Amino acid sequence: MAGLLEATTEALALLVSGDEALWEIVRISFEVSLLALLIAVPPALLLAFVLAYGQFTGRRLVIALFSTLLSVPTVVIGLTLYLLLSRQGPLGEFRLLFTQTAMVLGQIVLAFPMLVAIGHSALQAADRRAWETARTLGASPLRALLTVTYEVRFGLLAAVLASFGRIISEVGASMMLGGNILHYTRNIPTAIALETSKGEFAQGIALGIVLLVLAFTLNILLHHFQGKGYIGS
Amino acid sequence: MNALHFHHIHQDYGKRPILKGLALSLYSGQCCLLTGDNGAGKTTLLRILGGFDQPKQFGVDTGFGSLNWRQYRKLLRDSVLYLHQQPYLFEGSVWSNLNYALPRSLDKVERQTRIQQALQWAALEHLADTPAKTLSGGEYQRVALARAWLRQPRILLLDEPTANMDKDARLRTIQLLRQLRDAGMALLIASHDPDYFSSLVNQHLHLEDGVLQTVTGEPRFVIIPSLYPQRQCPLGAGYHDETACNTPD
Repeated sequence: MAGLLEATTEALALLVSGDEALWEIVRISFEVSLLALLIAVPPALLLAFVLAYGQFTGRRLVIALFSTLLSVPTVVIGLTLYLLLSRQGPLGEFRLLFTQTAMVLGQIVLAFPMLVAIGHSALQAADRRAWETARTLGASPLRALLTVTYEVRFGLLAAVLASFGRIISEVGASMMLGGNILHYTRNIPTAIALETSKGEFAQGIALGIVLLVLAFTLNILLHHFQGKGYIGS
Repeated sequence: MNALHFHHIHQDYGKRPILKGLALSLYSGQCCLLTGDNGAGKTTLLRILGGFDQPKQFGVDTGFGSLNWRQYRKLLRDSVLYLHQQPYLFEGSVWSNLNYALPRSLDKVERQTRIQQALQWAALEHLADTPAKTLSGGEYQRVALARAWLRQPRILLLDEPTANMDKDARLRTIQLLRQLRDAGMALLIASHDPDYFSSLVNQHLHLEDGVLQTVTGEPRFVIIPSLYPQRQCPLGAGYHDETACNTPD
């Protein structure tokens, strides 16, 4: 217990002192995850919309597929991409393995099913009259889509935040695809794994605190926005 | 385009035919009332005409040629406006809901002028900045009608527009509908309560067993096997003095 207290105190000191190595790891984490999210959100939400409002053969199968992908371990996704990106793999010539680009790719693959599945649920729960009213008032399909998206923005925001939480805290894919290279591909979760394995708990705890504060901030933000849309407001 | 003649409208629910080759005509400046029991297919018909649900069979004669459903949907969708039984208002104020109905090409001044006119028309000036979702049922309907007034469709389809309204709200709604009709819109109103609209309608159709029947001033049904091709109702013909309109030759 005393050891945990000591390590936590040391961790807080590291955070407050602005330890350069530690904050660089935080910066890399955010850069990679935000970029992955930025790339994944538009096509994922578009697909979620098509699945919610479209009528085509195999629609249910696609929905089931994305729901299944939610439960695939991150390390399996990491392994699959590793095999694709490794020298002998079909994408080996691009030399992406152990780069931030590979980490971004891995996180896109991780975030995409979650965005589609939760986004689809939010859009399917939306009042269908919103789409029909927009269309009957002369809105183009794109404008009607944006209108419906705005009407269910809280549900979609939850999808985005949940996906961000998943990718910024995952270790399996980042470790396999990024290689945990200091100053380049070492992010919060891979650094925690490494420092813990070395017995350096202070930095691990400090990074854990950053993740917790981040999760708390995201939830506060979500509840703040949702609070404005509560029933009876 | 003063008239649209719809014909051969056929729709099934599963294996059960719900609309059996219907035909009806809608005329500019006239109001057609559509009655029928629950599940008779009134909403189904309105949604087909609104371009939302694809029927099994469909045809429409515009006077310039015949169109199938896809062509109708593509070419005439902007001319038809469908109001749900409970109209949907978007998040935001009454003002922003009215703004949505205006073409995006309008400049700011013109936009403001027209919204102001619509607010005045529907007696909604005092609610302009009110969040639309907080309005009462009658106010909801007035905002929806004000959007229609701004949009100026050729055909306005209304599904139970006075359902669950008190007397005052109902009278106001009917008054607004009369103004829309007199401005040249063709109205098709689905309702359980023909009495509410007796002063408004030019033509009363009853949907039963997938077939449309014309109801005359007297409570009498005339079964119409086919309405296409057909004669045009005389403009301004009242509901109670309807005679030759949509009756078989």
